[in-house]
Amino acid sequence: MLFQQIVINALIRASELGLLAIGLTVTYDILKFANFAHVEFACIGAFLAYTMNVTLGMNIILAGLVAILVVGVLSIFIDRLVFIRLRGASSIALMVTSLGLGIALRNGVRAIWGARIKGYAIGLQNPVELIGVRITPVQIFIILTSVISMVIIHLILKRTKLGKAMRATSANPALAQACGIHTERIVRWVWFMGASLAALGGIMIGLDTHLTPRMGFSVMIPVFAISILGGLGNPYGAMVGALILGLTENIGLYTDLGKILTLNGLIGNLTGLYIPTGYKLAISFIIMIVVLLWRPSGIMGKRER
Amino acid sequence: MGVLYFFVYLMIMANVYGILSLSLNFQAGVGGMSNFGHVAFFCIGAYTSTLLVMLCHVHFLVGILGAFIASGLFAFLISIPTRRLKADYWAITTLGAGEIVRLFFLNESWISTGHYSGGPFGIRGIPRPWESIIPGNIYPFFYLFLTLLFLGLTYFILQRLINGPFGRVLKAIREDDDLPLSLGKNIHEFRVKTMVIGGAFAGIAGGLLVHYTTYVDPFFFMPMETFIVWAMIMVGGIGNNRGALIGTLIIQLLYYSTRFLKDYLPIEAQLLASLRMISIGILIVVVMLFLQEGLVKEKKRLY
Repeated sequence: MLFQQIVINALIRASELGLLAIGLTVTYDILKFANFAHVEFACIGAFLAYTMNVTLGMNIILAGLVAILVVGVLSIFIDRLVFIRLRGASSIALMVTSLGLGIALRNGVRAIWGARIKGYAIGLQNPVELIGVRITPVQIFIILTSVISMVIIHLILKRTKLGKAMRATSANPALAQACGIHTERIVRWVWFMGASLAALGGIMIGLDTHLTPRMGFSVMIPVFAISILGGLGNPYGAMVGALILGLTENIGLYTDLGKILTLNGLIGNLTGLYIPTGYKLAISFIIMIVVLLWRPSGIMGKRER
Repeated sequence: MGVLYFFVYLMIMANVYGILSLSLNFQAGVGGMSNFGHVAFFCIGAYTSTLLVMLCHVHFLVGILGAFIASGLFAFLISIPTRRLKADYWAITTLGAGEIVRLFFLNESWISTGHYSGGPFGIRGIPRPWESIIPGNIYPFFYLFLTLLFLGLTYFILQRLINGPFGRVLKAIREDDDLPLSLGKNIHEFRVKTMVIGGAFAGIAGGLLVHYTTYVDPFFFMPMETFIVWAMIMVGGIGNNRGALIGTLIIQLLYYSTRFLKDYLPIEAQLLASLRMISIGILIVVVMLFLQEGLVKEKKRLY
């Protein structure tokens, strides 16, 4: 496969998973726990957009926007219902709760929409050729949306009062509150942001491939790998991490290991040795283990253990 | 008679899951380690025992011993990159490890017996121990006794460990790293040991499961299994073995009895399966919110 094609495929994957990972990492930064239900927001968002797009016949962009808003509000509702009672609880308690919540949400989607594979009404996508790369219009849309969203996130975090308040709350909630920052309001905003980013990522995955109730769960490990790679709590790290993961996955799967092992035919003759695609998930896992061994706080995180 | 045999089956499964929840409780409840991939050890135990008995033709007990050792070794491997890390990282890494182990057995079909290849189609015809000696109609009762024996053994050993000096250090580590550190305890080493012991016992559970079902495939070991075991120890009361066993019984009864609701209620099997999962998920959340210590509280002892 052409190198440009690998890069483009990596970019598409990074666009989808990056949005999810930024959402996860932003919530981690404020709430200080790994939310195992986070990826389910992607799944719910994607299916809500499906109902509005296919069942109600709305335009996909409008359907997506509404779905993102609904998921954001849903996450605040879940916070009010569940997590508000667990502020200051141990991280194990929070993780187990989010795990249970994830199970309930995932199977809720399966109960409502069924287990069958679904797709949006966007018609058959014909790939176009650009610099020797085949890419569909929807995939270009995915990359653009993702880049724009990341710029918006950057502006929110660095240029607005909300971003400043978020950073203050993350660094020291008590001090932030003493300075007149309504930390509970910040927490609500963070839930909204994290969940709606996840929903956006989920819709992007749905546009690129298809929808199943397991679509959230099946990207859980890559999304966590990206967040750890970038340093949990660091959105910029997550952006870089997504690119690294996308590239590693695609290069890993399309590189002929036989050629590398035999130094391109120098010693022996062995070609066509590829990592089986069934092991795609293992690549994320190995990235995670390597990062944890080598630099547990991530490539862009502060050094601390 | 059917009802009786079903009850026996239920109790055999409760014993198998009892071993799982005792071992998870040892790691998570006593050691404070968030192991979200307990199913990995269950899976490795199941496959190790299967392959040993079917390919190397060793005795069932040797197979179980192999399962014990292999799962323990895997636990050791997993704890190398994670032993110094915070709970969040433990959770994610172990969850990933559980999925990778399942992927391995899903993708690798060289694990074969004769002409057949494993992989997604599973392995059939795993021999039941002492099947030739014991008549078929009392075999389930015999196996019930056998699993109960292993459960008792697990309970006895883990209880001894928890009440002994090892358990006391472990509980101290669970509460806070600094105190045991100041007493010169190597907390990383303790974590690794706990992981290995818990993992090894989970391996036994895997072996016991497949030698009764006589069949194994990678779909036995979905991540959901881990979460169900978590639900068991959370409901029963984390940190104490009696609670773990009571929780196992409750969840097991709830989980298996609701399977037959479709005979009485006009809902589809698919929907029912989802609803059962939803109820497990909600149960975990509710226990975490309102019953954090579970049904049986851990006894706090002063030394």
